[in-house]
Parts: sequence; C-alpha cells; structure tokens
Amino acid sequence: MTKKDFAYHLKNIQHYYGNTKVLDIDDLKIETGSITGLIGPNGSGKSTLLKLLAFARKPTRGRIFYKGHLELPFSSTVRSKITLLTQKPYLLKRTVFENITYGLKIRKDKNNLENRVKKALLNVGLDYQNFAQRKWHELSGGEAQRVAMAARLILKPEVLLLDEPIASVDTESARLIRQASLKARDNWGTTLVIASHDLQWLYSISDRQLSIFKGNIFSTGMENIITGPFVKPDVKPDDKPLVKKLDDGQIITLKAPAPKTCTAIIRKKNISIALKKQPGNGMDNQLSGHIVSMLLEKKSGHIMTTISIHDLCFILTLPPDQVSRLDLYPGKKVILGFYSNDVEWI
Amino acid sequence: MDFIVAGFIKAIELLIGGDSSTWTAVFATLKVSTCSMLLSIGTGLPCGFLLGYFDFKGKKHLRTILDTMLALPTVFIGLTVYAFISRQGPLGELGLLFTLTGIAIGQTILAFPIVTAITASTIENIDRDLKLTLVTLGAGKRHIVATCLWEVRYGILAAAVTAYGRVLTEVGISMMVGGNIKYHTRTITTAIALETNKGLFADGIALGLVLITIAFIVNLSLSFLRKQ
Amino acid sequence: MSRKINFTGILAIIFTIILTIGTQAQSKSLMMATTTSTDNTGLLEYLIPHFEQETGINLKWTATGTGKALKLGQNCDVDVLLVHAPPAEKKYIAKGYGKDRRQVMYNDFVIIGPENDPAGIKGKNISDAFTTITNKQAVFMSRGDDSGTNKKEKLLWKNAGIQLPDKEKWYVQTGQGMLATINIAQERDGYTMTDRGTYIKYQSTKGGNAPLKILVEGDAILLNQYSVLTLDPKNCPNAKYDLALKFSDWMASQNAQNLIKDFRLLGQKLFIPNAK
Repeated sequence: MTKKDFAYHLKNIQHYYGNTKVLDIDDLKIETGSITGLIGPNGSGKSTLLKLLAFARKPTRGRIFYKGHLELPFSSTVRSKITLLTQKPYLLKRTVFENITYGLKIRKDKNNLENRVKKALLNVGLDYQNFAQRKWHELSGGEAQRVAMAARLILKPEVLLLDEPIASVDTESARLIRQASLKARDNWGTTLVIASHDLQWLYSISDRQLSIFKGNIFSTGMENIITGPFVKPDVKPDDKPLVKKLDDGQIITLKAPAPKTCTAIIRKKNISIALKKQPGNGMDNQLSGHIVSMLLEKKSGHIMTTISIHDLCFILTLPPDQVSRLDLYPGKKVILGFYSNDVEWI
Repeated sequence: MDFIVAGFIKAIELLIGGDSSTWTAVFATLKVSTCSMLLSIGTGLPCGFLLGYFDFKGKKHLRTILDTMLALPTVFIGLTVYAFISRQGPLGELGLLFTLTGIAIGQTILAFPIVTAITASTIENIDRDLKLTLVTLGAGKRHIVATCLWEVRYGILAAAVTAYGRVLTEVGISMMVGGNIKYHTRTITTAIALETNKGLFADGIALGLVLITIAFIVNLSLSFLRKQ
Repeated sequence: MSRKINFTGILAIIFTIILTIGTQAQSKSLMMATTTSTDNTGLLEYLIPHFEQETGINLKWTATGTGKALKLGQNCDVDVLLVHAPPAEKKYIAKGYGKDRRQVMYNDFVIIGPENDPAGIKGKNISDAFTTITNKQAVFMSRGDDSGTNKKEKLLWKNAGIQLPDKEKWYVQTGQGMLATINIAQERDGYTMTDRGTYIKYQSTKGGNAPLKILVEGDAILLNQYSVLTLDPKNCPNAKYDLALKFSDWMASQNAQNLIKDFRLLGQKLFIPNAK
C-alpha cells in the first residue's frame, strides 16, 4: 500500500474524570490493519483511550474520526465493527453458547450459529461439546477470558481492542488468546490495539508502540520517566534547576520545570550510551549503570535495551551495529549521558 | 398446649373438608396479593430501574424518602387509603372501600417501595463492566436496558419474593380497608385476627398454617424457576 | 424468544384482575356496619341468609365497635347501621347523620369475673360492685374503644359516683373487641363487663366450662338495646337509603323477630326481640 489508510484519527482529545484530566492527545492516527501496542503504567490512561477508541465513551473534548468520518458512541456504523476485550470481561449470566452469540443476536444474524460458535470456540482452544452449554459460573478465569475473546472474534470485527487481555490468565490461555488475536488480523485484516504489560509480546507483534503516561501519548514508544521527589541544588539558585538524588550518590540534573508539572521525561533519542564517562562532551548528566535486559524489536530489527541506574530504569532502542560495536550484553556496565536541557516536563 | 396440636388437626380438616369460609379467605388472599404484586412490580420495577440506572439531581433525597416508605406501618397505609377511598374522601365516588380492590391498592403502596428499593440497589450494584461489555459487543440502548434487567433477574426475583412475603402477611391494611367481611374481603390474616379475638386459637393456627403453606409453595416454585 | 416480556399482555392481565375484583360490588347490595357482639355471637350469620332470600338484597357487614360504626356511617362508607348505644344514636340523628332509628332487640350487660371472685362483688348491685372493685383495686378490663359496651360502662362508673379510673394500673383498656377483651380478662384473672350474647358465645368456645362467671346481672340499667339506623340521605345521598329502610323493616318484621327469638347458643337465648 502506498497510500496509508487510517482506521482512526483522534484530534485534540481531552478527557476528564470530574476535574482530573486523564487523557490529552493532540493528534493520533492508527493505520487500518495495523497492530498498535499500548504501553504505560497502571492508571496512565490506556484503558480510557481504549474506551474512547471503542466509542464506549465520548471524549470530554475533541473529535474521533473512524475511517474518515466523525463518529459518536452508539453510532450504528461503529457499533457493529469495533469491539473491546477487557482484563476482566463480564460474562452474561447465561450459557457459554448464549454469551458467544449475544453480539450476533443484536446484529440479528442467526445463520448457522452452531457451526460458527464451534469455530469460535476452537479458535480459543475450547471444545464445543464440553463447553457450549456450560453456565457462566462453571468456567475458570482463563476459560472465561477465552469465551469472552470468542464472543468478540465471532463478530469478525474491523477493530479489536484488547485491554490487558492476558494479565490475569494462565499461561496456556494467554498463549491461545495471543494466537487468536494475531489470527484475526491475518484472516480479516482486523486492526488491533493492544494494551499489555507483556512487553515481549507487544514488541514482537506490534507495528508500532505508543507509550502513554499520565494521559500523554508518546508515539515514539516507551520513553524514560523520572518521578519526584526532586530537590533544589545548593549551587546556582538563580536558574532554578532541580536535581534528583539517587541513594547511591549519583545526581541527575534537570532543567527547571514548567508550572504545574511534576514528572520529567527524557526521550530515548536524547540519551547517548558509552562505556566510559566523557568529561569533554559537555553533557551535564553522566550516569553509570548496567544493562539488565535486551529485547529484539521484530519489525525494526532494533534492540530495546533496559539499563538500570540504581533504582531507575532507562530504555534505549539501539541499532544492532552499535550494540555489537560496544559489545553490549546484559550485566555490562555502561554510562548514559544526556543534557539537562533536553528534559521535558509534564 | 392442646390448642397447638388441635390447630394442626383443624388445619387439615378445614382444607380437606373444603370449608367454604376458609377457602374463600384463601382465594381472597391469593387474588388480592397477586393483584397487588402485579401492580407493584409493574410500577416498582421501572421506577427502581430509573432510580438505580440514572444519576440525577435529588436522587439521594428520593432514596431517603423511599427508605422511609419501607418502614411505613401497614395500619398507617390502611388509614391513609381509607381516608382517600372513604365516600367522604377524594376517591369516594369509586366505591372502593370494603372491596378487594381497595385492599390491593393499599398492599400495592406497601409493596411498591420494597420492589423499587431492592430493584434500584440491584441495578446500582450491576458490575460496571457489564455496560461496557454490552456496548463493545454492539448493543444499543434498548438492548442494554433489557440485558441489564435480565442480568439482575435474581435480584428482582428477590425483590418480588420479599414484597410478596410482606403483602401476604400484612393485616393492618386488609382489616382497615377491607373491613374483614366474611366471604368478601376476609383474608387469611384478618380471619386469624378474628379467630384470635374470639379466643379460637386452634382455628387461628389452622389458618396460619395455610398461610405458611402458600408462602412455602410460592418460594418453592420460585427457587425451581431459578434453577431453570 | 420466550423470555421477551410482553408488556401489553401483562397490563391486560392486571386490568382483567382489577375488573373482576371491582365488579363484585353488585348493584342490589347493602353495606352494614355493626358491633362485634352481633357478629361474634353468630347472630348475623344465622339471620342474614333469611333476609337475602326474602328480599334478594345482598347484605355485607363489617363488625367494629359502635363508635367506629357510627363514624363509618357519618363518612357514608356504609348504608345502614346495627348498633347499641341509645344516647349516642339519638345525638347522631340530631346531628343529621342518621335518619330512622328502629329498636329491634335487646339483651343485657353482665359483669363477669373469676369464679373465686377475689374482690367479692357477687350478687351486689352494679354501683356497689364498681365501688368494691375500685376499693380493692381489682383488675378490671375495659374495651376502651368507644364501642356501645364501652359507652355503657363509662356511664355505669359515672352512675356509681366514681371518676373514670382510666389512669389506674388495675383498670386495663384493651382497645379490642368484646370476645378478645373477655379472653384477656381470663388471662389476667380480671373482671369485665360484657353483653350477655357475647358471654354465651365465650362459654360455648370454652366448651361450657368457662373460667369467668357471671357475677352481677339483672339491674334495669344493664339493659342493652340494639337498633337499626338508616343514614340521612341529606348527609349521604349515595347511601342506599331505600334498601336500608327495607332492612330496617325486615328486622322489625314478625318473621325476623321470631328468628331472633329462636337464636340460641348452648341452649340459651342471646337476644330478646322488642321491635314495636
């Protein structure tokens, strides 16, 4: 495809719960048929974003376009095409069969239900004979999650939104759910947006990672976040920079924050990695730490490297040649350098 | 102690022997309680749903009023209904005093807050994920309402059973509004009150047993329904 | 789908039920308020089928105290009254609530108490008996419900020159019907005043061996007159005055008077007809 086809376009979205702003997105596009990984700590706004994408909520401000059209919750065009699976989905107090066919019944689609349910169950590794007539309370957590997944897959959705779908299930269920979601994309070109803490899975299947922190989206994937407490340094009181003191004696210097912000972001692209401190290059932050993990980003071929500096974790995406040049491996001591002026505050 | 044993024997005699005054009281009880249950569910269910489902200004006050109504003594309801349907009252023209319809109105007022309050709290306690799940499966607003109601069917059933228990056993309304007229508005409970007044404890116990049997059958059939 | 709720169907059922219940009120029916004594003794159950058969009028009655019965009439909730409190009845007619008063029968009041008679009132006249009860502070049950019996009892205290002892511990106001009050008196080993009819009924429920016995009887003042009252159509235009009058006439008829005379419980006469 030369011309990019966007399933979603979000413009100037702001969402509030009461007076608290939970989401603030200027502009976000999601390609049709793509897999987007959503990364961020609990409470960062992932679930809220997914609910907006599912058109289950109306954003407090801003507009969401689906396939070029402005859409609102309950609009008939999106209702039948987009579906969401949450971490703890609600199963109706009915049989497995009725749970799976609920969406179809709403669509007044009653053709060949038995066969389709059979297929949908098979997709998530459940056997029709054994499971179709079971009641909602006769399922384990993992089975319930798979039934919920089957109830979404049977709809052949254009968009499948997954909110921590495997966070609380057994490994076998997790494997089957992962497999089934990929199948949906491969078979029907379903657009997938997945929020998960399973970074390895996300990095291995997603075309793009969005990191979300305190309602802000970073489309460059995961960025490095430093939270307080910060202290004012003893020197140079006029510039009002802040420092964070680590327990091991190292000090991070950060430029003065904008009003009403309290979290510092240091983007990956602004951080350099070296084996030794380089006093000559003018970087006012040179921190020593060691590599704790390295992960291959399948699509880009880059290596996602996690470096621990005392109790902070930094993530860098490194091209393979740099990794081999510096001979990086988990456990190796490295120096991270960045300018205090490159720090952003949110 | 003798009259307790005598009560059991008498109960069986009255029922099997087809004693007309006993059976008319049983039928009056069933008729009037069924009618008031249908009315109170018909009105209480939608009201409870609205109260539990939506947030609006003054909802808290409404709940307080409702909770107060839960404690309304039956004799007070009886008195109020009497004041309204007495021929001197605003609804006197309808001639409802000393009729089963009059009792049914009073019992509906008794059962309505029970049905409404229990339905409302059942709806309020619906898993917040239910609505989200339904929306994301493509349900429209009507589907959501219908499915939510079906999901809380056991809670609503509990509301109905609780209300039915109260309606079946109340005596204040039936006595004041119905007048305990033999073969017409004499229900099981007013008949018990009468037999007790007459000192005929055995007959009172017999009627009480009949009442318990009805309550038992109702609950049994409901728990059977529940299993389905 | 079977569980789809058909709301119109349910509404239809509700209305059908309401209608069936509502239509029970037939046009040729009469509603009477009466005292507990006529109902508890079984007199009405014995008498009214004859009335219905002879006149084709369906008569229903609610049994309360005379006080409430008069009030029901004043509110036009009933069509006719059968009560026993002559002074109150006369006042009632004077106030324009009642129209015709027809005396139909009487029995008498008696004072009953435990067989061993702890206060020692047996055989005394009524005023002496009440004085003795007051002096001994013996437990006395009063209806306390403004019924005909209660009105009479209050009059008797007044005649005995005693202020109504309604604040005394030994003077218990039950607020219930006559039979209930007798049963409470039996439980508390107390005295009470009752109409003879209800006492005989009480005896019959105890198999003829009642713990409470008649101790004082026979004073002229203890006479208990029952009357049928019609309601003044000016106050209650909707009350069925003509049917009420028919009932009143029938109660005074030779046939009804004979029936009343023949009504017996445990071989004892309960009411003595005296229609003029």
